[in-house]
Parts: sequence; C-alpha cells; structure tokens
Amino acid sequence: MTVKHRDLYLYLALVCFLGIILIFIFDGYMGVYDNLTVRAGEDEQKIEDQNWERDYWSTAVEWGEKAYFYYEVDNRRFSSYKADVEVSLWHSQEKVSDILVQTVSIDSFDKEQVEWVVDTAELLPDDVSPEQGYEYTMYLKRDGIERKFVVHVRSSKMPVIIEPVPLPR
Amino acid sequence: MKLEYILYGFGILFCIAGVGYLAAEYVKYLSDVGKLGSLLLTVGLFAFLGKYFEGLGW
Repeated sequence: MTVKHRDLYLYLALVCFLGIILIFIFDGYMGVYDNLTVRAGEDEQKIEDQNWERDYWSTAVEWGEKAYFYYEVDNRRFSSYKADVEVSLWHSQEKVSDILVQTVSIDSFDKEQVEWVVDTAELLPDDVSPEQGYEYTMYLKRDGIERKFVVHVRSSKMPVIIEPVPLPR
Repeated sequence: MKLEYILYGFGILFCIAGVGYLAAEYVKYLSDVGKLGSLLLTVGLFAFLGKYFEGLGW
C-alpha cells in the first residue's frame, strides 16, 4: 500500500511537470506575435512583442533624414492568420498622413515582414523651419492592437564652411 | 564509482541550468494566468517529489 502511495506521488509530480510544459507551449509560445525594428541614422532598435506595454519607444532623426521601419508578424498557430496592418503619422492629435495599409496573410508557423520609410524631407510643415525640432507620433494598428511610436525630428545643422581668405600680396 | 557520481552531478546541474534558462526565456511570453498556473504546478511538483523521496526513506 505504501509503495502504491509513493508511486502515486511520483506520477502526480510528473503530471505537474507536464502541466508546466503544456502551459509554456500553449500560453507562452503559441499565438501571434509581432516586433518592430527601427533604423534611423546609426541607431537601430528592435521592440519585441512583450516590451511594447512597458516602455516609451522613440527614435530621433534630423530633418531630411529617413527612418526605416521593419514590422514582423510571427504566426505561431496551427491555422493561417490574416489581418490588416495600418500605419499612420500624427502630430498634436491630428493625422498628418497615412503611411501604410497592407493586408498580411501568413501560413501557420510562418512570418511576414512589412516595411515602410518615414521621410522627414516630405513632412516638413510650412510653418516650421528646419532649424526647429518637431515630433510625430506613429500609430500602428493590427487586429485591434495599437502600437505607439514617437519620431523626434531634430534641427538639421548645416555644416559651417570656412573659406580661406587669400593672403594679400 | 566516484567519477560516475561526479558525472551524474554534472549532468543533473546542466539539465537544471538548461531548463532554468528556457524557463527564464519563455516566462516573459506567459500571460498572468499562465504564470500563476506555472507557479502553482511548480509548487505541486516539488511537494509531490518531496513526498515521493520521503516515502523512499530520504
């Protein structure tokens, strides 16, 4: 009888272990995940799915520079996944432009990447000079999920060119 | 014989380190409910293992 009880505890321990593994697989790994990689100047950052909620994400570019965005959707499910990805640029609660509207259709356990560029040369408002800084908020929407990313535009400082003064003869 | 036990010890340590590393990597993907479930099952796992080894006379 004691031996049976002892084995029962071992089996219960194994059931707990299998339960943990199943939770890790179905709650942790399975699902649809996304990440965003941003390249602006020499700066590159990758924002993983689980980090969106915790931090304030931004990048900085000068007027005339471009910021490159690579948005990857990872479908870790047994079924295919289809959704619209909408990216828009805002300033002071007003929409400046729609950057992208694209449908992603991903097979099971596959990934798809969407790319776009924010060209600050095309965004300079009429009442702002290139010496002034500016901010845009980029909203990324997919399947009811909204991601927020701030693009700081710094003043572009023109290089000072010093021309040599010819010496008097 | 002693060498065998040392190798077993290393094997067990590497297994625990590997499982620990994977758990640390994947726990960030878990929802709060999943984390709570995993915690309860981990407590249960060690409790039942403790009872099992107690039955063995350890």
